[in-house]
Amino acid sequence: MTFESLIHSDAQSFASVSRIAAVFDPVFARLEGWAARVEDCASQPDCGQTTLDPLIETLVRTELADSDGMVIGAGFVSAPSFLGWHLAWWLGGQNQAESALPATGIHHLETVEDPHDESFRDYTALEWWRIPAQTGRRHVTGPYVDYLCTDEYTLTLTLPVYRGGSELIGVVGIDLSVDQIERELVPRLGAGGVPVTVINASARVVVSTDVHLATGALLRLPGLTERLRDRAPTPALLADGAHTFRWCGQTGLAVVVGPAEGQPIEVPKTKPSR
Amino acid sequence: MPQSIRAGSGTRAAIFTPLDGAGRAELVLQRLTDAIVLGVLHDGERLPSEAELARQLGVATVTAREALEILRRNKLVHTKRGRDGGSFVTFAGRGANDLQDERLLAWSRVQMRDLGVHYSAIAGLAAELAADRASAADIDNLERILDRADAGTADAARRGQGTFRLEVAALSQSARLVREELRLQAEFGSLLWLSLRDPLRRERCRAVQRETVAAVVAENGARARQLTVTQITDSIEWLIEAKSILEQESVSQMPARTTTPEREETRS
Repeated sequence: MTFESLIHSDAQSFASVSRIAAVFDPVFARLEGWAARVEDCASQPDCGQTTLDPLIETLVRTELADSDGMVIGAGFVSAPSFLGWHLAWWLGGQNQAESALPATGIHHLETVEDPHDESFRDYTALEWWRIPAQTGRRHVTGPYVDYLCTDEYTLTLTLPVYRGGSELIGVVGIDLSVDQIERELVPRLGAGGVPVTVINASARVVVSTDVHLATGALLRLPGLTERLRDRAPTPALLADGAHTFRWCGQTGLAVVVGPAEGQPIEVPKTKPSR
Repeated sequence: MPQSIRAGSGTRAAIFTPLDGAGRAELVLQRLTDAIVLGVLHDGERLPSEAELARQLGVATVTAREALEILRRNKLVHTKRGRDGGSFVTFAGRGANDLQDERLLAWSRVQMRDLGVHYSAIAGLAAELAADRASAADIDNLERILDRADAGTADAARRGQGTFRLEVAALSQSARLVREELRLQAEFGSLLWLSLRDPLRRERCRAVQRETVAAVVAENGARARQLTVTQITDSIEWLIEAKSILEQESVSQMPARTTTPEREETRS
């Protein structure tokens, strides 16, 4: 990569990060508001499902009404030590599986909360719980096909909630439609002429302006695996010398930009291992 | 909410998704019958109320009532009155096998092979894509599902196979393939994995599941697809063989051929 094209590529990756932030930051900001409300409620002596669930339902209803179809569902998931195994989660009325509902209606997600039931699943082992609980920070899980709730291709944004600053009492989260993310992001990312690809921490493509890269595919580039292991925020040039890598804040998403126009694309002979 | 809060219940969710097309009462009946025969709906489980069922399936209440009435007549559900009342699945043992046999006799060989081709197209490509797209965490999840699966009984093995296939489909990252996998499982799963009645087949099924995971780990999409298609073809061939045996049995049980019309025969 010439010095000039490197600078161009890097500038574009920097610009891309702020465009991606423009989509995700407001959602996380609302989740932070929810976390504060839950924490407030949890500090009251009479706090329980009967006080918390109506609060969450109201927050989700407003969120879904304002979201232009981007939000599929949202809510609060309790730590087992707080309200027991409990999901206060609501889905919008627009998805296919719920077509019998009025478009404005929201629908409570019914789950198995009895740990002795055959169908019970320990959600604290799942990525959208595990990572924010470990790091104490916001996290983006997916994209994945959410076949249990909605059949939709989904991204899940979660944030841990603490009582008294240290006791983890649950996570608040919002499921976003990948279709809508694409509609929001691709026009904003495509402006610079160099292919821009947003990936998650597993190198899975969230959206890409490169026609050859499908959402959901794993991006395989020399040195990318090593980059994804390193959480340091420094942007870097990948081992092929043609792509730049940059984390999108603390979301667990990253941006890969390149190769610049006219630059030969080096296709690795062997696929790097996962 | 992400993956598998209700592990194994994906096919259950599909049973109660809206139906489209004509002949809805028959479709409701067929879907519920299959779900009961397949063991997706358990013996003793309470079904949603008529109104609720109608709402979930997107049909008129009378249609749901009609379907429930036939299920009662077929002794697949019974209705209790009172506060704890409702329609409950009653299905176990001998009756289950009879009903499965009946379905086996009703399907032609051509229909069975065609179902195999359709399902292979869906599940085969899903497995191939999964090998390309599964992350390390996805593989861990798949292995955990295999470790937890119980292949002790035909029902458990069928549920396990349903869950496994669904998880593989989800790894393809294609919402359409997942929806089609769910639909095929809900409507034909009972028939498709009937071969798991046989304990040897159950063992082999588990072995194929393990080999499929190994192919996914090796990023060998062609192998994952081939394992899947071969497994489906084997299962269809088992069905055709079982059907042949049933047909021979029913021929040998029949009295000597007469010119009496069929209807007369069954009445006597």
